[in-house]
Amino acid sequence: MGEYNKIGNRKKMLVAGLLFTLMFLVLLVRLCIMCINNEHYSQMADDLHERERKIKAPRGKILDRNGVVLADNKTVCTISVIHNQIEDPEKVIEVLSRELDLSEETVRKRVEKYSSMERVKSNVEKTIGDKIRNMDLAGVKVDEDYKRTYPYGSLASKVLGFTGGDNQGIIGLEVVYDKVLQGTPGLILTMTDAKGIELEDRGERRQEPIAGLNLVTSLDVNIQTYATQLAMQAMAAKEAERVSVLVMNPQNGEIYACVNVPEFDLNDPYRLSESEGAEGLTEKEKQDALNRMWRNGCINDTYEPGSTFKMITAAAGLEEGVITKDSPYYCSGYTVVDDRVIHCHKRTGHGSQDFVHCMMNSCNPALINVGLKLGVDTYYSYFEKFGLLQKTGIDLPGEATTIMHKKENMGNVELATVAFGQSFQITPIQLLTTASSLINGGRRVTPHFAVKTVDNDGNTKEEYEYPEQAGILSEETGALMREILEMVVSEGSGKNGKVEGYRVGGKTATSQTLPRSSGRYIASFVGFAPADDPQVIAMAIIHDPKGVYYGGTIAAPVIRQLYENILPYLLK
Amino acid sequence: MAEREAVRKRNKRKSDSYFDYSLLFVVLFLLVFGFIMIYSASSYNAFQDYGDPAYYMKKQLLAALIGLVLMVVVSKIPYHFFERFALAGFIFSLLLIPVVKTPLGVNSHGATRWIKIPGIGLNLQPAEIAKLCMILFLAVLVSKLGRNVDTFKGFAIMVCAPLLHCAFIYLFTKNLSSAIIVFGISFLMLFVASSSYKVFFALGGGGIAAVTALVLYIVNKVGTDGGFRSERIIVWLNPESQAQDKGFQTLQALYAIGSGGTWGKGLGQSMQKLSFLPESQNDMIFSIICEELGLFGGICVISMFIMLLWRMLVIANNAPDLYGAMLVVGVMGHIAIQAVLNIAVVTNTIPNTGISLPFISYGGSSVMFLLIEIGLVMSVSRGIRLADTQ
Repeated sequence: MGEYNKIGNRKKMLVAGLLFTLMFLVLLVRLCIMCINNEHYSQMADDLHERERKIKAPRGKILDRNGVVLADNKTVCTISVIHNQIEDPEKVIEVLSRELDLSEETVRKRVEKYSSMERVKSNVEKTIGDKIRNMDLAGVKVDEDYKRTYPYGSLASKVLGFTGGDNQGIIGLEVVYDKVLQGTPGLILTMTDAKGIELEDRGERRQEPIAGLNLVTSLDVNIQTYATQLAMQAMAAKEAERVSVLVMNPQNGEIYACVNVPEFDLNDPYRLSESEGAEGLTEKEKQDALNRMWRNGCINDTYEPGSTFKMITAAAGLEEGVITKDSPYYCSGYTVVDDRVIHCHKRTGHGSQDFVHCMMNSCNPALINVGLKLGVDTYYSYFEKFGLLQKTGIDLPGEATTIMHKKENMGNVELATVAFGQSFQITPIQLLTTASSLINGGRRVTPHFAVKTVDNDGNTKEEYEYPEQAGILSEETGALMREILEMVVSEGSGKNGKVEGYRVGGKTATSQTLPRSSGRYIASFVGFAPADDPQVIAMAIIHDPKGVYYGGTIAAPVIRQLYENILPYLLK
Repeated sequence: MAEREAVRKRNKRKSDSYFDYSLLFVVLFLLVFGFIMIYSASSYNAFQDYGDPAYYMKKQLLAALIGLVLMVVVSKIPYHFFERFALAGFIFSLLLIPVVKTPLGVNSHGATRWIKIPGIGLNLQPAEIAKLCMILFLAVLVSKLGRNVDTFKGFAIMVCAPLLHCAFIYLFTKNLSSAIIVFGISFLMLFVASSSYKVFFALGGGGIAAVTALVLYIVNKVGTDGGFRSERIIVWLNPESQAQDKGFQTLQALYAIGSGGTWGKGLGQSMQKLSFLPESQNDMIFSIICEELGLFGGICVISMFIMLLWRMLVIANNAPDLYGAMLVVGVMGHIAIQAVLNIAVVTNTIPNTGISLPFISYGGSSVMFLLIEIGLVMSVSRGIRLADTQ
C-alpha cells in the first residue's frame, strides 16, 4: 500500500527503534550499576541528611584508694530556645527570666534572635530544668547534661584538677586521665531538610553513650584531709607563704597524700583567693594568677633541698666505701675548699664525731668531706645513678626537671655545696622518690596516683603498672642508711619527728632561698616509718616561715603529728 | 453460525476503526505515575512556597486535562487534515520564538522561555510548539519530496529546514537542549526518509569523533578559562570537584539514586526532595523516582518508554502512507530523544542540561504538546486497516 518505499523506510524505522532501545538499555545497565554500587553516594547522602546531636557520656568518677568519691557528676540542664518553634514569645520570655533569674532583656535577645537554636543558660539545676520542661512551652528545649562536682571542695585540688565546659580535663589527674574518664559520647541522628529543620516523622537513630571509666587513685581521703589540716595549721602558725606535705608508700610509689596549701576550690576554680587581689587585674594578669594558684608545688616547682640531700651524699659515700659509719671527722665550724671557706651551720663546730653523729648533727663540713672524697666524677655518677637527673615520671602534668651543674662546670666548690644540698634545685617529689630508693632496698619506684580503672559495677578494667628500677643501692648500704636516719630522729636533729611507739627515721633541712640576702627560708623534714621496714615516707616543706625557721623545729612536728594519727591506721 | 457471525461482526467493527489501546494505556500510565511523582517530589517545597502541597500537581493536572481533550480531538481528525497547516505552522512557530523577548515573555528559573497566554493563566513554551510544528512540516516535506529525498538537493533541504528554528531557540531562549532536540527529531526523520545508510554512518561517526575530540580538548585545558559550556563538561567528568557549585545538582541527583538502592525508600520517603535537589519535580524527577522506588522503579519507567517506542514503531510501520509514518516517527523521536537525554543527565552519563522527562516531569507546555502529538499518532493509527496487518 502507499506509494512510498515501504521496505526501506520500515527497515530504517526498525533501525531507529533498535538504536533508541539500545540507548535505553545502556542507561538501564548504568542505572543498575549505580543502584547496586551505591555505598559511596548513599553514605554521602546520609551525611547530608542527618544532623548529629551529641549525648555527653557521664565522665568517670575519681575515687580514693578505699572507693571514696573525690570527683563526681551531677545532672544539670541547658535551656535553649528554637526561634521558629516558639509560639508565645512573651510567655517564654516571662517564664525563662523568672525561673532562670535572668534579666528580661537578656532572655528577649535570645528569644528574638533568628537562629536555629540559641542557648539561654547552661548549668541550670535539674529541679529548675524539670520545672521548665513540665510547663511544655513550644520552642523551649531542656537538655540534660553532666557537670563535674568535687564533694570535698578544695581537698587535693592541685592533684585532682578540674574540667572545662566541654567536660575536658584542664589540670591535674583530670587532664592526664582525660581519655579514660571521658568515655564515648553517644549520638542522636535526626533527619533534616536542606534548611536544617528537623523532621519529626522520620524518626531518629540513637547511639547510646558509653560512660567513662572510674579512676581509682592511691590517695587516701583520711590521710589527705589530716595532712591538709596540719599544713594549714603550720602555715597559719608560721605565717608561711605555702606548705606542702607529701605522703607516699616507699615500696611501690603510691602517693597517699599530696597537699599544697593554700588549695583552691575545685567547684569554683576560676575564683582567685583574696590574697591574689582579684580586683583590677588585666585578663593576662588574671590568667597568670590563676595558673599560680593551680600550680602543684610538689611537682611543678623546684627548690634547694638543703640538708635532706645529705642522705644522698651519705648513701653515695657509704656505697662507694669512702667512709663507714664509724669514720671519724673533726668539725671545727668551717672547712676550706680550694680558696673558699664554707661554714657549718654550727659556727662553733661539732668537734670530733663519727659519721653517724655527723648525720645526726647534720654537719656540713663532714658531708663536704664525703663529697670531696668521692670526687666530681664519682659523685656525679651517683647523682645520675640515683635518677636525680631524670624526671620521676609521676602521672601529673608539668613535672619540673632538676636544675644541676653541668659535669664539666663542676669544680670542688660546686661539689662541696651540692654535697650538703645547695646550689642546685630539684622538686620535692624527686627528693622523696630518691629518699625512698635509699631506704627500700635500692629500688627506684615511680611515684603515682592512678592505681586502676573500674567500671560502674566495680569490675577492674585496667591496672596501671609503673616502671621500677632495682639495684640503685646495695641492700647493706640501705640497711645502714635506715639505721643512721633512725638515729637522726631518735637522738639527732630530727628528734621532733619522733613518734611514741614507732620507729621513725628521717632527716631535716633548712635551706635559704635565693638570693641568700632575702632572709627567706625553706624548712623541711623527710621521715619514714617503721625505720627497719619502711611502709610510709612523708615530707613536709614550709616555704618562708616567719620566726623560727629550722626544719627540725617546725617541719618535723608536722610529720610527727601526721604519723601519730596515721601510723596506727596504716601499720595495723 | 450465529457465533461466527458475531466474531466477524466484531472483526469488522475493529477493522473499521483500529485503536491502539496499548499506546493509550502506556501514555495514561506515565501521566498518572507522573502526577503521583510530581506530588511526592514537590509537595514539601510547594507547601513551603505556596502553602499548598498539591500546587504543582494541580497545575500539571490542569495542563494534562487540556492536553487529553486536545489529544482526543486531534485523534478524531484524519491526520491529512493537518497537512495544509504545515507551512503556516512552520513559519508561525518560528516567529513565536522571538516573542519571549517581548513583554509577553515570562521569566522563570533565570531564563525567559515562556510566553504568557492572556486569560488562561498558563504559560507556553514556544520551543514545544516548534517541536510539534517541525514534525508536521518535515512529515509533509518528506511525503512531497518522495524519492527526491535521496537527491542532494532534497537532502540539503531536509538538513537545512530545522536550522533556523534551532538557531532561534538557542539565541532567543538560551535553550541549547531544546535546539538539540529539534535538530535530533529532524535528523531522525531524515534518516528514516532517506534510503541511504552510508551518509548517516559517516555523519554519526563524524559526530561522535567531534564530541570526543571536544571533550578531550576541554579536559586538557582545564584551568584556563573554558567558559560556561566547557565547565559543564568538567563537572560532568567529576561532579564532586564542584560539589557546592556547578556540580551541585548532578551530585544531589546521584545522592538520590544512590540512597534509593534496589528497592528504594518507599513512595513519599525521598529525602532529597526536601529542598536538597533543585528541580526535583522537573528535570530531576527521575532521580526522585529512583530514590523512592529504587532501581525497580527506574526499570519500570524505562520499560514503559521502551513499550511506548515499540507501539509507535508498530503504528509507523503500518501507517497508510509515508506522511503518516513520518509523523509517527517524528513523535517517537521526540519522546525517545527526550527520555534518553533526561535519564542520561540524571545518571550523569552526559553533561547536565535541562531536559524534562516526557509525560512525567512537571511542565504544562511539555505535557500538553506531547499529548497533542500522541493524538496525531492515534489519528494515524486509525487509518490502519486491520486486514493489511493480518
